[in-house]
Amino acid sequence: MTTAVARRPLSADEVTRFGAEIDALRERTLADIGDVDARYIRRIHAAVRYTEILGRGLLFFGLFPPAWLLGTLLLGVSKILENMELGHNVMHGQYDWMNDPRFDGKTYEWDIVGTSDNWRKTHNFKHHTYTNIKGMDDDVGYGLLRLFPEQRWRPFFLGQPLYAVIFALLFQWGVAIQDLRLGAYFAGRMSAAELREQFRPVGRKMRRQLLKDYVFFPLIAGPFFLPVLLGNLVANGLRNLWTFMIIFCGHFTANAEVFPKSVLENETRGQWYLRQLRGSSNLRGGRLFHILSGNLSHQIEHHLFPDIPARRYAAMSHEVRAICERYGIYYNTGSLWAQFGQVVWRIVRYALPSKPVSMEGRRLVVSE
Amino acid sequence: MPTAGPLKRMLSPLVNPQVFDFWASHLSPTLSWERPLAKVLARRVEARDTVTLELKPNRHVGGFAPGQHVSVTVSVDGVRLTRSYSPSWLGRGRMAVTVKKIPGGKVSGWLTEHCRVGDVLEIGPAFGDMTQPTLDRPWLLVAAGSGITPMMSLLRQAATQPPSLPPITLLYWARTRADLCFLRELDQLAGRLPSLTVHRILTRESALLPEEHGGRPDETLLRALVPDLGARQVYACGPAGFVAAVRALLAGQVAAFEAEAFSLPAASVLSGAPVQVTLGRSGRVLSVPAGAPLLAALEAAGERPAHGCRMGICNTCVCGKLAGTTEDLLGGGLSHEPVGAMKLCVSTALTDITLDL
Repeated sequence: MTTAVARRPLSADEVTRFGAEIDALRERTLADIGDVDARYIRRIHAAVRYTEILGRGLLFFGLFPPAWLLGTLLLGVSKILENMELGHNVMHGQYDWMNDPRFDGKTYEWDIVGTSDNWRKTHNFKHHTYTNIKGMDDDVGYGLLRLFPEQRWRPFFLGQPLYAVIFALLFQWGVAIQDLRLGAYFAGRMSAAELREQFRPVGRKMRRQLLKDYVFFPLIAGPFFLPVLLGNLVANGLRNLWTFMIIFCGHFTANAEVFPKSVLENETRGQWYLRQLRGSSNLRGGRLFHILSGNLSHQIEHHLFPDIPARRYAAMSHEVRAICERYGIYYNTGSLWAQFGQVVWRIVRYALPSKPVSMEGRRLVVSE
Repeated sequence: MPTAGPLKRMLSPLVNPQVFDFWASHLSPTLSWERPLAKVLARRVEARDTVTLELKPNRHVGGFAPGQHVSVTVSVDGVRLTRSYSPSWLGRGRMAVTVKKIPGGKVSGWLTEHCRVGDVLEIGPAFGDMTQPTLDRPWLLVAAGSGITPMMSLLRQAATQPPSLPPITLLYWARTRADLCFLRELDQLAGRLPSLTVHRILTRESALLPEEHGGRPDETLLRALVPDLGARQVYACGPAGFVAAVRALLAGQVAAFEAEAFSLPAASVLSGAPVQVTLGRSGRVLSVPAGAPLLAALEAAGERPAHGCRMGICNTCVCGKLAGTTEDLLGGGLSHEPVGAMKLCVSTALTDITLDL
């Protein structure tokens, strides 16, 4: 189950032509964006609001088990939609062209304990620019897990199957503290004062979220305080597990690759596209599945075109795949269970020591 | 603008205005926590390509004086666009805007052709200095095309205070007779205001009626129509070229002169030619080469805008563009509109622009 995919090296010329084809697809799609995309994101926003009020409303009758179950599921769906198809995509600036303050990438604040500002830095900038470059993309193992043999093994990683479960259950908290650089603090490279300063907005956001889900809504339910609190806890937990699964399937499947920093030297646009492709993997599924994954099931297209409305990725994926076939580039896709199985395998396998793999000489292009 | 009551002030830390508006709009389309909205109550064709919309504003729409402009925001093909129009009060808390369709105009095209009764527009705060002139000197109102709308607003206001009015002359230019607006209302106003004289001047009509005049603004015509020109307080409104011509003829020759012009997008300059970038917040004005990515050009001029990937991916360097034409270097095309978010790293200025930096 290792990287058994034959990868034909491309010549510099091929990479240039490949990049031009991806650029052309981008231009074709941009020219077509308009009212239909605006209506779509407004409908998603409405769906978030309706599922939230229905879910929270049903939880007030949570002593009746079917109402609790349905209410919790609806609230979970609302939070998933808000985080993924709405928040994540809006924060990428996918809907900035609408000039609508409700869907403005720079100011949107999403419904999780992490601040949007930190996310815009760690995700939009670091992860999307330096995708899968070891030492630059914090998302490679999140500083907690060893997912690639290229990462050096330490005894700490023996416990990672357990850390991964905890991380999945508390995923939004992991996102919240990702930019605090706790590693630097514990290594003595950041003072406590600096950390306190950085934590201030994060702490404010955490407090607001905790008050909302675990104090305000349970309190207004009066005698049904406990079922509402538990429902909110489980809804947040469901969202954590779901986002963890989707996001880990995006870059940590068996055939996803990591790269050394050296690939950045004079990296062309075509090479950048190629790196996004080789570091990302897609999930197959139906329309509802794609919407609930925030269309991150089209992780490849999302990494090629992070600022294009995600509802376009499904159509674009056919063209990207055809382009890949023409150049003999492997297009990594599979069902959720197949891809997540590979992720779980990586988490278990690389908890144990493995023969070190050198990335020296790993290049995206061969010169002629 | 109405001030928030104590209840609203108390609740505001708990309320997310956007969530409030989402639910409030189910009750009434213009009910909002803080956005100034107005509902279209009626639509009337005023002249060729010209429509008057009667609006019912919500409580957040601020006041305006007759002669001032407000920015009207509508959503056209999914994009929110803003233009200025000169509204009038109609009484009973209602207002009217008259819109003339400009060839290729997105907002005027939408307002005149697609806007329907029940639609909701956003109405920004009022601006402009052409409010009612003093009553101690005669007025001269000079309008071309849709420059008539602030003048109508001033005349409607004047009609509510007739006894003390000085002589008022309206010179109203249009291309052809079919382009003239408000003819019946102007007749009614002239009937109610003995001091009002209206002259209609057509530049492209083949045969003129006895009471019509022809030609572009020049000294002979102005002196013939307004013998006491030097004593007048003059307001002029119309396309930029028209207003410039009137200003050249009259500024300094009359008792007072105010003018407002509609600006049209400036023509793009050649790549490499210098264009001016005005930074709206700091007030700094820089010269950068047209066609160069703005982020790099701003940095070369000593600015330090926030940035990340420098390749149009991460959205860190986006900032608002308040005016001017830009091109998206990643195939996004030209943009003549003010926009809330533009990526500096992959955008370039093709005319003088103003950024929200």
